[in-house]
Amino acid sequence: MASDEFHQAALAHLDALYNFAMYLTRNPPEADDLVQETYLRAFRFSHRFQPGTHLRAWLFQILRNTFLTFYRLRERESALAEDGVPSWDVPMFHDAPEESSGAVEAHTDLERALQRLPEEFRTVLLLAEVEGMALEDVARVMACPVGTVKSRIFRAKERLRGLLRDYTEK
Amino acid sequence: MSGDHSPDSDEALGARLRAELPRYSAPAHLHAAIAEGAAPPRPRAAWLAPVLAAAATALVLGLAFLPLLPRIVPADPTERLVRSVVAEHTRALMWGARHPEVIPTALPWLTQESGIGLRQVFVGDDRLVFAGAEPVYLEGHRGIALHYRDGDGHLLTYTVLPIPGLPVPDRQRVQIEQGTNRWRPALMHDSGFSAWVWRQGELACFLVSDMVSEADVERFKDYFVRVRVSTEPVPAN
Repeated sequence: MASDEFHQAALAHLDALYNFAMYLTRNPPEADDLVQETYLRAFRFSHRFQPGTHLRAWLFQILRNTFLTFYRLRERESALAEDGVPSWDVPMFHDAPEESSGAVEAHTDLERALQRLPEEFRTVLLLAEVEGMALEDVARVMACPVGTVKSRIFRAKERLRGLLRDYTEK
Repeated sequence: MSGDHSPDSDEALGARLRAELPRYSAPAHLHAAIAEGAAPPRPRAAWLAPVLAAAATALVLGLAFLPLLPRIVPADPTERLVRSVVAEHTRALMWGARHPEVIPTALPWLTQESGIGLRQVFVGDDRLVFAGAEPVYLEGHRGIALHYRDGDGHLLTYTVLPIPGLPVPDRQRVQIEQGTNRWRPALMHDSGFSAWVWRQGELACFLVSDMVSEADVERFKDYFVRVRVSTEPVPAN
């Protein structure tokens, strides 16, 4: 893919990437930085992109890896469960960004519940359900087998339902 | 994953996520910033690369040959002499005196070689140790150089040349007093060295050292006094 053509194709996914970044960071300036860093890396390493594969998934993968590296890795404290997902009581990642200045508040129970999910669960739901990505692409973004993606979607929805029930009862 | 269509089903939850979650669009400034980053860099002018390469080569060659290029010789005769005296001092500092002689043993030979007699000569004290004396030839003049070293390892070179009426720059003169004695030598600088310059009869005298800081210059004044008071050079003829 020619450089200019690659740039144009990558720019077509800007809004989707920004939306994903907002749900990861809950903070517009951080989302800005995350998306800019994602494109910077994508353009720098465009030669590594294999034409014919899913550019969208590749970009989401860069964004998530960047997020984990720069924004959340330092907060990683808890041990992982066997399937790579932390237990219910010990979230893999803290939800620190929403507490920082400029954070976007969740307006609906659904948003609040989604926000409380661990990053792995939130990401699979956002990619598979909101972005409508194929499970193979979600697996690529998350660097795990498709089976794990299915398992995470199932468990994420269970937790989400549980949280929504809690809000309703309150 | 369930396949039913109850409000709690997986499909219903997925539909809620798609329908109810607000969608955030990238702000305009982000669009602009990333589009700018994606724009191909402006091609360089074709002539720029060879010109830069030529300039870089010239610079490297210039730097390589810089030490070999002749230095610009000062027009002022005093400055020119100071430069020569400093060069001689530097040579002695790095390589030692060519013919270090002991005074007074070698005084007759030194007088014969340099054309400078020493009626009285400073041979060191508690602060300065005499390191040697030698005849020198600077700027077409025979002369004599005496080397001293202080406790901190500073080398001092006292040089006398037979140059009657050497102009001593007024603006660089410094008043030095000790008891009833009063002198006004000029403090000149060259290549990171300091030099006291003064006239003694028909002779031009120089005392060079690497003492350049404010505190060092005070000490250098004291060394000047020690040498000046105890040394009396005269033309040998």
